[in-house]
Amino acid sequence: MRNAYLDQFPDEARVIKAAFWSSFIALAIGGVLGLVQALHRTDVFRFIQSPDYYTVLTAHGVLLVIVFTIFFLVGTFTWAVTTSLDRGVVDTRFTWAWYIMMVIGAALAGITIFSGFLESAPSILGSELNADVLFTFYAPLEAHPFFYIGLVVFVVGSWLAGVDWFRTWLAWRRENPDERIPLPTFMVLTTTLFWYICTLGVSLSILVFLLPWSLGITESVNPLLTRTMFWYFGHAVVYFWLMPAYLMWYTMLPKFSGGKLFSDPLARVVFVLFLLLSTPLGIHHQYLDPGIAEGYKFIAMTNTMFLLLPSLLTAFTVVASMEHGARQRGGEGYLGWLKALPWRDPIFTGMALAGLMFAAAGFSGMINAGMNINYLVHNTWWVVGHFHLTVGTAVALTFMAASYWFIPQLTGKELWNRSVALGQVVLWFIGMTFMTNAMHRSGLFGLPRRTAEPQYQGFDFEPAVGTVGEINMQVALGAVILTLSLALFLLNMVMTSIGSNSESIPDNTYADTLSGAEDSPRILDNLKLWTAIAVVLVIIAYTLPLASIIDAGGLFGPDIEGFRLSTWVDPAVIESLSEVIR
Amino acid sequence: MNIHTYEKVWIVASMVLIVGFIATITYGAVGPGIAMIDDDGGDINPDEINDDERFAEPGVEHVGGNEYEVTVVAQAWSYTPSEIEIPANSEVTFYVTSRDVTHSFSVVGTNVNTMVVPGQVSEMTAKFDEPDEYGILCNEYCGEYHHTMEGKLNVVPEDEFDLTELSVEADDEIDAGNETTITANVTNGMQEDLETTVSLEIGNQTQEEDVTVPGDGSEEVAFTVDSADLDEGDNDWTVTVDDYEESGTLSVVTPEGNESADGGDGDA
Repeated sequence: MRNAYLDQFPDEARVIKAAFWSSFIALAIGGVLGLVQALHRTDVFRFIQSPDYYTVLTAHGVLLVIVFTIFFLVGTFTWAVTTSLDRGVVDTRFTWAWYIMMVIGAALAGITIFSGFLESAPSILGSELNADVLFTFYAPLEAHPFFYIGLVVFVVGSWLAGVDWFRTWLAWRRENPDERIPLPTFMVLTTTLFWYICTLGVSLSILVFLLPWSLGITESVNPLLTRTMFWYFGHAVVYFWLMPAYLMWYTMLPKFSGGKLFSDPLARVVFVLFLLLSTPLGIHHQYLDPGIAEGYKFIAMTNTMFLLLPSLLTAFTVVASMEHGARQRGGEGYLGWLKALPWRDPIFTGMALAGLMFAAAGFSGMINAGMNINYLVHNTWWVVGHFHLTVGTAVALTFMAASYWFIPQLTGKELWNRSVALGQVVLWFIGMTFMTNAMHRSGLFGLPRRTAEPQYQGFDFEPAVGTVGEINMQVALGAVILTLSLALFLLNMVMTSIGSNSESIPDNTYADTLSGAEDSPRILDNLKLWTAIAVVLVIIAYTLPLASIIDAGGLFGPDIEGFRLSTWVDPAVIESLSEVIR
Repeated sequence: MNIHTYEKVWIVASMVLIVGFIATITYGAVGPGIAMIDDDGGDINPDEINDDERFAEPGVEHVGGNEYEVTVVAQAWSYTPSEIEIPANSEVTFYVTSRDVTHSFSVVGTNVNTMVVPGQVSEMTAKFDEPDEYGILCNEYCGEYHHTMEGKLNVVPEDEFDLTELSVEADDEIDAGNETTITANVTNGMQEDLETTVSLEIGNQTQEEDVTVPGDGSEEVAFTVDSADLDEGDNDWTVTVDDYEESGTLSVVTPEGNESADGGDGDA
């Protein structure tokens, strides 16, 4: 008798499947735009106008780091809660409601961004429909109100998803009063808690400042304030999209390796640390911002460095669990056990390669975190290399590998082609190796990020090793390989979904533990305590910087109006204008 | 709580690594003295940049010794001034602000790199030991021609650097038989006195005068020119001080009942 997720929770399976497909659509569009950018920037093939590059970049960023990751997250978390509590959600109508809300939000923001490609965008609510403001939407760059509304609707949808998971857990607790929270649910709940804490910043920034301002209700903004409120959210969000990958590494990867999770207690400690520390460090994105005293930057740096601990612990636990699995499969020797791992399994290999890339990302992240070393690499292509290893590989590759397990679970259909899947994850790894090593290196000699044409009139870049041409070629080649890999992934997903039902789908289970929850103190499960401490840490890290920013510039800033720099201007006009200014 | 021995070792090693990182960064701050951009620059209303004492005339100023201040205004999509010249072996404090959106001021290949947020003044100090040429670029997206926003920073040998400015006041015309004055105004932006020679060449004559221009001051040199020494008609002149030159033309005309072609003087 088949016991896949679909058989256990048919109603939930439909919502999760819908969330995954929303995520795949965002991945497909965002990924192709990535190729457009890579070819344009490196001057290999330019078929769009350079001003449109920034519309492409905005769509690439928002679709991939917000829409793709978070839709996948809500699917994974719903699966994790229901599987580990062994009960369905309280009410699937509520589940559908938040999913639909997220779709509406994403669509609204997406349409607003894509309208930026039109020669003359339609005018709605008294302003032109576009949002060439990138993922960070720094005021006084101003987007159409629909962009901000879309983001808020999407985030509120994710809040309701969190309510759904908590509700389901509370219902389970009433049925099982004395049991420890199962590990996957524990991970979901702690992650949701810090998501609530961090999204408060960006939501207030949008609802109080940016949206009224773009609607013309308020006249001015304080750019440093809205920027700081963005980064209050902006680093925690990277842990938010990373946590489903961690969840898979802790609860599934050991199983795919053929063994058990090394330690449940340490996994809980890791997630508690993320709850505590993922928000009070956002200022590390503002090391080079004026108007914020050095002391506050130092606090953010210290918190950042301590947040290395949970990732280092994860590295240990995941590798130890893989070794345990390999030894169960007959692996021997100090390193010989590596050969006994199931390298032909795309799910295992994808996640293992993603973890390996994440280790490299950890090292470049340590450089970014070092506040004075950061001067060298801030806003260079180095940073882009860094987050293509984190969200672009650790997260995206884990999600794709996990999909090879999830989609059969959700559809009751066997994966269309395992060899193509294995090739796909390896191609992703190779493509990212080309692209990110080149991006990292280019940052060391100052090649900027977020730039359509990094070619300047007055000077040339001087790489210590290699050439700018070679770096561009590696990035372009990497992007082509990644796009091919993405196409193979989507092909496999489509072919699997239209395939026929199979009885040989593995049971829906997650990894056992060598050292279980009973080995950890109960206080780890005290979510109220950890939330309270997290809030206190946020207050310590943010009260004074925010107070001094508001004190200096006022809540609404010194008469700073919006700039819509996205309307079409003839380049010749710009040329003569800049001559005049000079 | 049950923690495996290897796990304990790993945790301790991780903590040592983390504390080590923090210690290294702290050393960088207090040892070599790498300061972060902070709130020292203060705030400014972007609409009042033109009236601001510091930013009304952006550019290079000498503070004293080998210390200089450079003020820069960033706007979409250029810097004012777009080209900056400073001497080698100098310590330069940059003050940068934005007229419109968020920019950056990043000197390529150095760690002079700051965000430029409207409403704020970014202040940072750097040392430039050797003559070199650096590109300046904006690495924060600031609108659709963001990629065209660039500048230059030229570090010139110390002995080739000055902050001298020359302006000249002179009449265009002189009646034959009269005298006129050509006045050179030499401004010295350096804090030390400038000892130099101002010279005027006109016709086939050369006049020279040695001057001492006080630090952060200016000096006027007046050259008296007698029409008797000049030819009838146009006479080109050139005033020179160090590497600076100003030139113009002085016409000697015949007064009263002249036969000049236009004869328009009498028009009411």
